[in-house]
Amino acid sequence: MSEYIVEMNHITKRFPGITANDDVTIKIRKGEIFALLGENGAGKSTLMSMLFGMYEPDEGEILIRGKKEHISSPSYAASLNIGMVHQHFKLVSNYTVTENIILGIPSKTRRFGFLPSVDLKAANQRVEEISRKYGLEVNPTSRIEELNVSVQQRVEILKMLYREAEILIFDEPTAVLTPQEIEFLLEIIRGLRESGKTIILITHKLEEIKKVADRCAILCRGKLIDVLDVASTSTKTMANLMVGREVSFVTEKQPPKFGDVILKVDHLTVKNQDNFPVVKDVSFSIRGGEIFAIAGVSGNGQVELADAIAGLLKAASGTIVLNGTDITYYSIRKRTLEGISYIPEDRQNYGLVMDFTLEDNLALRNYFKEPFSKKGILNREAISAYGTKLIEEYDVRSGQGNKTIVRSMSGGNQQKAIIAREIEQECPLAIFVQPTRGLDIGAIENIHKQMIAERDKGRAILLISLELDEIMNCADTIGVIYNGQIQKIAPAGELTASQVGEFMMGVKQDAK
Amino acid sequence: MERIIVDGLSFSLPLFIMAIGGIYSEKSGIVNLSLEGFQGFGAFTGAFAAVFASRSFGADATTAYVLAILFAVIGACVYSLLYALVCIQFKANQTISGVVLNILATALTAYLTKFLNKRLFEAASDKFVLEVSSRITVPGLSEIPVLGYVFTDIYPFEILIVIVAVIAWYVLYKTPYGMNLRACGDNPHAVDAAGLPVGRIRLIAVLVSGALSGIAGISFAYSISANFSSSIYMGYGYLAIAAMIFGNWTILPTLGSCLLFGFARSGGYYLVQQLGMPSSYSDLVMILPYALTLVLLVFFSKYNRSPRALGEIYDKGKR
Amino acid sequence: MQSKHTWTKTILKVMGDEKRQAVTIPLAAILLSLIFGAVVIGVLGGVNPLEAYINLLKGCGLLPKESYAGYKSILTDFASFLNAWTPMLLAALAVAVAMKAGLFNIGVSGQMLVGGFIASITVGYSSLPAPVAMPLVVAVGFLMGALTGGFIGWLKYRFNINEVVSSIMINYIAQYVIAFFINTFFVNPVTRQSQAVGKNARLTFMDTLVGNLKIDIPLGIILAIACVFILRFLLDRTCFGFEVKAVGASRSAARYAGIDVGKNMVMSMAISGALAGLAGVTYYLGYYGSIQPRVLPSTGFDSIAVALLANNNPVGIIFSSFLITVLSKGSTYMSSASGVESEIAAVITGIILLFSACGVYMRYLIKKMKDRISEEGRNA
Repeated sequence: MSEYIVEMNHITKRFPGITANDDVTIKIRKGEIFALLGENGAGKSTLMSMLFGMYEPDEGEILIRGKKEHISSPSYAASLNIGMVHQHFKLVSNYTVTENIILGIPSKTRRFGFLPSVDLKAANQRVEEISRKYGLEVNPTSRIEELNVSVQQRVEILKMLYREAEILIFDEPTAVLTPQEIEFLLEIIRGLRESGKTIILITHKLEEIKKVADRCAILCRGKLIDVLDVASTSTKTMANLMVGREVSFVTEKQPPKFGDVILKVDHLTVKNQDNFPVVKDVSFSIRGGEIFAIAGVSGNGQVELADAIAGLLKAASGTIVLNGTDITYYSIRKRTLEGISYIPEDRQNYGLVMDFTLEDNLALRNYFKEPFSKKGILNREAISAYGTKLIEEYDVRSGQGNKTIVRSMSGGNQQKAIIAREIEQECPLAIFVQPTRGLDIGAIENIHKQMIAERDKGRAILLISLELDEIMNCADTIGVIYNGQIQKIAPAGELTASQVGEFMMGVKQDAK
Repeated sequence: MERIIVDGLSFSLPLFIMAIGGIYSEKSGIVNLSLEGFQGFGAFTGAFAAVFASRSFGADATTAYVLAILFAVIGACVYSLLYALVCIQFKANQTISGVVLNILATALTAYLTKFLNKRLFEAASDKFVLEVSSRITVPGLSEIPVLGYVFTDIYPFEILIVIVAVIAWYVLYKTPYGMNLRACGDNPHAVDAAGLPVGRIRLIAVLVSGALSGIAGISFAYSISANFSSSIYMGYGYLAIAAMIFGNWTILPTLGSCLLFGFARSGGYYLVQQLGMPSSYSDLVMILPYALTLVLLVFFSKYNRSPRALGEIYDKGKR
Repeated sequence: MQSKHTWTKTILKVMGDEKRQAVTIPLAAILLSLIFGAVVIGVLGGVNPLEAYINLLKGCGLLPKESYAGYKSILTDFASFLNAWTPMLLAALAVAVAMKAGLFNIGVSGQMLVGGFIASITVGYSSLPAPVAMPLVVAVGFLMGALTGGFIGWLKYRFNINEVVSSIMINYIAQYVIAFFINTFFVNPVTRQSQAVGKNARLTFMDTLVGNLKIDIPLGIILAIACVFILRFLLDRTCFGFEVKAVGASRSAARYAGIDVGKNMVMSMAISGALAGLAGVTYYLGYYGSIQPRVLPSTGFDSIAVALLANNNPVGIIFSSFLITVLSKGSTYMSSASGVESEIAAVITGIILLFSACGVYMRYLIKKMKDRISEEGRNA
């Protein structure tokens, strides 16, 4: 038997217009934690998708336990004891943990000796056992929709273990977790290695690799740059290899010059569809020239808070005051006109009309104003001219310029278009929710610079982000939200990342 | 009272079995407005089989009846295969193709009925006349006051429907297949990741909805008009969908709404008769189930939860 | 292998780029359906399909028949065709405008019926002079249709009731309520239909003597063509159109942009209903002069096919509605002249619908073929 449990030799995979993997060779030893490092679009996920049978390579071969395999489907991969936790969990929301885990491989019994039926009882027991063995702390009979993302992720891990996977692939597992949850997960991953599993970790976060990985392969634009021994390599080296150039970790900015209060949120409570409060009695204010960042774990009410300020959700109680005007009961349109621009979290469902042209999307906020229309009649020439102007200024790249259907553009350029449109509103308040999610380092830097430039023009910026780095990097003031409540508000210099992390978990209580 | 229950049941039960078909399809994530077309097409093939058997081979009424049901199931199943092809394989918009298939079913069966009548039976007719179905009264049970009406003057298909409904309930909620099917309607990606064929599970669900609608179609043909003609397209398929929506896509509450529709209808007819009103007033009675649907929807649509992935076109490559 | 390649390339060339596919895909759908129809007519009917199709055209006054009765000529047939075409054109516009807002108005039939019925009993049975009655008929039809359609939109907006379900329910309610009123108050005992509307309110000048011909001159067709261009302007050139299309493409993004989604849904359903109401008056007070109780006009459903075929493009609808009307209108003559069941025309319409519904898939197939060819080209 070979020294390696997985060998991917000279793998090339092309998609129309792009070579996702170009002659990549990696060999993974049994029982190690092997990390795949690279920017978005470097080809990490594609490579692993081939190992998991979601695509087949155009060239090259895959050897599992020394034997050449054609992995044609995820179920074949599963039969080779390969499991994968995807970035987007694949769970049935109205099923219990156990039902999700046994989906596809139910333990069957015969009711009354002849009727085929699912044996939930035995399955529950087995899930419970595995959960205990690896310290996963999952209740087999909870419904998925009642669980938070961190537990859902552990359900995905359980799913692999239940299927007796030996090779476990994790695709960006920490993207949605808090620092404390990340620690817990890394602990679990180490535990899995102890019991002899082989782990492949796809990530772009260097600290995690440093913490758990044994070896690490660095991919850049589809090509394998190097395979390194983690213990003997510095983070800086890895980062430079990954981006292909020197990176500065900190965005440079001048000290803030605060102006008058622009946004004042007072005792704001927001309820969701089920009449359940998701934002509870939140108060804060933002001055001109200030980046106020809200840190928090996904799903703690921060998106609802932004939606409520922008008018997409109704306030159940409390007030929102913009430049001295009470806008609590204003419509979305009226708030825009009062001076709020909003870069939403979900750019494809909210930020853009995907089937509209680029120019129409760029005019989405002002098509009803002169010169874009007059008495309800559109002026197409003015809309086109405006589109051309923004495309040039913000370097939005697309196939057919103004007339490109936005759906066909890349995620980074879609985001650029939204940011161009919103910044051009020149509003006193700009809300940025997760502005850099899914973008590569170059694009992230760019957006941070733009945000800071806006601040320096005297605008108030509300930044909501799940990335602690981003918050530490950009914020002048940090507010931490947990379970719909603001736990702590302090100038950025007064908090360390780990303190913020503790507030994010609701661990630390602090008198306001 | 007796008539209300007897007629109400004979209308509710076919509606119910068709609604179960709808539940199968929609719980697997496929919108199904084409129940109307399935039941009509099933009624057509069933009625044709019965007429053909008795004319060409002199089959007796019972044999014709059995053949009618059998071929109604087969015919509707085959027709639903077309729907599955369009929606699952060709990834067409499900709402639109559902309506399209209904229009096509009406046209196709009208054409074929005329054509077959002319060619095979040398008759210029646009209907297949069926024999009047026999009815069963269960001795003993039917003596019970009020409740006994349930066991009075039963059409044979009602018994079949009850049996099939129980099996359908068991399969959907208790078996591995049912579990996979319901998962497809919530998150097909999860099903795919579990190594199960989403397309095939949905295909079977649509075929089941076809088969069950076929039973409903031939039942309506026997109980309401004793023939097959284009009057089979009275919108009962849509009514079944309304029943399913009230039932919140679960089988037992759906039975409740079907019974409500059935009794509202039979009760209304009874009232028109009793009060000696002219027959045109029965048109007003016909409104009842539809108006009821609309009113109930106004009140209950808030509490309704359709399957999460309903109508979403499943694309394997998309993540 | 080589020949297969040439085939694919030819197909790709013919289908053209994405813009051209908006035209070529429907044409392919029509062609395939006509071929299917030809096979059915030829094999099952034992009739020369070409002859049957020519008879379709003859029935519509698009080709001359062998002989004509007194006062009749190809012009008479064509005028009658225009008369039938009008409601189809309007009904398809109704479907299209709702579709632009992302709503599926399957209730066009019911809205036609409501518009036609109310216009009949209010104006159709009155003795108002024609110059007053005719515009009034149009206005009543427009208004009643708009109210019915708007109601469906309102139910969707206010109670989140699926417009497909509510419009189907309203279709049946309208059908039976109107049947009740006709049978109880307005029935003509001989024809079993509603009493004919007066000449003063009829939107078609019936049996008008032109030269030596008696022609039904439909005024509605002018209205319908005007509606096409008004609608096109409304959708492409106004803020209202911009908003409706944004709502149709993405409700959440439209809301984010500050567009009042509810208002736009109700408005577009009202406009859709209004157009359906116009279709109703040109149908019941133009083409026919009375209403058959308990029957929903099939035009309302066929119009879905028409709109789908034209990809909801108002100008495209002129062509697609023309075609579908040829099928339905010419089928009677085809049946009598060729001995084919007239229902075959409806079957062909159904098949066209089916192929149109698969248009997205055709687009996808073409794209896949293109990708494969370009990839093979690169590899070679």
